[in-house]
Amino acid sequence: MFGMSRVVVVKHASGKSGERLNADQYRQLLMIGFSRLFGGKSLVDKIRNLLPEGAVGLKTNCLTGKFNSTPVPLIDALTGILEEAGWGSNDIVIWERTSRELKAAGFKLNASGFGRRCFGTDANNIGYGRRFHTFGDSSSLISNILEQAVAGNINLPVLKDHSIAGLSGGMKNMFGAINNPNKFHGNCCDPHVAEVSMMEPIRIKNRLTIMDATRVQYHNGPGYDPACIEGYGSIMISTDPVAVDAVGYAVIERLRKQKELPSLEQAKRPARYLRTAQELGLGTADMKSIDLQVITVDDKGRSKPGDLF
Amino acid sequence: MDRRLFMKCVGCTAAAVATHSELWPELLGGVQNVCAFTLSDNLSSVEARHYKKLDDGGIECRLCPRHCRITDLERGFCGVRENRGDTYYTLVYGRPCSLNIDPIEKKPLFHFHPGSEAFSLATAGCNVNCKFCQNWEISQSRPEQIDSMDLPPKEIVRICKERIVPTIAYTYSEPVIFYEYMYDIAERAHEQDIKSVMITGGYIDKEPLAELCPQMDAIKVDLKSFRENYYKDVVNGELKPVLDTLVQIKNAGVWLEIVYLVVPTLNDTDDEFIDLARWIRRNLGPDTPIHFSRFHQQYLLRDLPVTPLATLERAHAACLAEGLNFVYIGNIPGHAAESTYCPGCAEVLIRRRGYRIMANEIRSGKCRYCRREIPGVF
Repeated sequence: MFGMSRVVVVKHASGKSGERLNADQYRQLLMIGFSRLFGGKSLVDKIRNLLPEGAVGLKTNCLTGKFNSTPVPLIDALTGILEEAGWGSNDIVIWERTSRELKAAGFKLNASGFGRRCFGTDANNIGYGRRFHTFGDSSSLISNILEQAVAGNINLPVLKDHSIAGLSGGMKNMFGAINNPNKFHGNCCDPHVAEVSMMEPIRIKNRLTIMDATRVQYHNGPGYDPACIEGYGSIMISTDPVAVDAVGYAVIERLRKQKELPSLEQAKRPARYLRTAQELGLGTADMKSIDLQVITVDDKGRSKPGDLF
Repeated sequence: MDRRLFMKCVGCTAAAVATHSELWPELLGGVQNVCAFTLSDNLSSVEARHYKKLDDGGIECRLCPRHCRITDLERGFCGVRENRGDTYYTLVYGRPCSLNIDPIEKKPLFHFHPGSEAFSLATAGCNVNCKFCQNWEISQSRPEQIDSMDLPPKEIVRICKERIVPTIAYTYSEPVIFYEYMYDIAERAHEQDIKSVMITGGYIDKEPLAELCPQMDAIKVDLKSFRENYYKDVVNGELKPVLDTLVQIKNAGVWLEIVYLVVPTLNDTDDEFIDLARWIRRNLGPDTPIHFSRFHQQYLLRDLPVTPLATLERAHAACLAEGLNFVYIGNIPGHAAESTYCPGCAEVLIRRRGYRIMANEIRSGKCRYCRREIPGVF
């Protein structure tokens, strides 16, 4: 598949201070990121090819409410691009585990039949599918939003440390798509994070990960701890759900080193599920095998190659 | 209450009944179900008991042997206890999702006020994940995923008093995970001479169990197997703590019965039955009732046949041969091993058909024929 194992990291110059980006700034990052990921020309066609015809889901991560959830301006920018690419607003579903979490993160709920929809799996008795999806040791029901309502999905996690799993990124965000995530936190969530991502509707429908890394919580996550947030000013984009997490993991490790914290390995939560996911064939966890492209964007929208750290 | 809410409430109660009774309508007799209640639209936030704050942040749950370490905004394995800023909360206090008035025989408790009724309740959640769970729709759900009612302990007790139900049963899912709610109901119920029975997998820590035992009049433990690997592979739990629980209940003087669900090819060898019977005789005594129950395809175990009657009879025979006095076969309506026999004179003491008591020959806790004392609460 085109773009496999390529991860594009787009950094905004003004984001380094931890400042929150607005929708225009996110749009800049997304357009440059898509262009680098898909090859530049006929961007609209590339996005159309990536996502199947029909409704598209945007799976957010709103665990920490207004503090460090998927930013509303990022979603606004992305939906704008999708609408330009031909999706009607009726065909865009912004979703999360519960409507309460979306609302707390600043999203305007819309569970009606019109316009850009925004609701949780708990809304209007949507609930979870009736069929268990089993992969390895993990069995779950999957949100009917993902299983039935949308044809394809874009995963929009927030990069942060997770005190059990090591990393809360894209694959971990899929715990918000299943009915029983509490069953899967043993053994640092390994192999469960990988196995959940291998469950058919998740593996097939998740076409793209856009991870918000503008403000990275490098310690004490996934709950919000303002003392452990560092401005990183980036988004990370990939069609490979493992590779984008692996890059995020490297960033968290670097930030922890800068702050003189023990590495995740030393803290006994080395996100082994990344390796497991690679072994299952879901994607690439090995940084040496990832085509990493880092671009920096300044306030005037000018871009140039940059470094991850 | 408007009509829509009323209908939803009735639906909730009906769903509970359907979950537990649909398979065996012929066994139910004239069970009178519970009326409508107000649905709750939020989770409870009562501080949980039995947890420890950790020095490096987070908490450790000490309710069950899993000892989940839980970071801020996360939940334990059970899905109903949540860390919020390093204070641990139960989300299901006063939030039952299933209510029904059942015959006590349905629990099953065969030596505890035979023929009486139990107001039975459950919340969402469970601290194990049995692949054969017949109530997985509630036990494996998080509380926000299913409809729950708003019924504080005093309301439960009031209803029982009003409907003259002598016993409250904490059942269907796993009452250990709604420990605080169960404890407070039971305490209040005792003040009104209403008894409490817990139907549990027995996966609970020693300290909370020690506190709970004085509030319980009987406990039925689902012993899922007598092999550690079965607990690991099929139950997602451990055998050893459950055996410890059985001994602790016995030593606490609470009436105890055991159910063993026989799953074809997974926990049905003669060796396992014999090991089990010997352990019970040695550690709990020969008068501890054990019920062998028939497996039906459920939840994640859908590729196995129902338990052959011959297998259940083999388990029954093995336990009798090892000297256990009260061995039953369940889920086979009309089978002779549904009834209670006097170990002294072998007469039928309680003749059962399904959940119905056809005859009861126990008088003042003794066999009517030979006057042998029959263990239990009669």
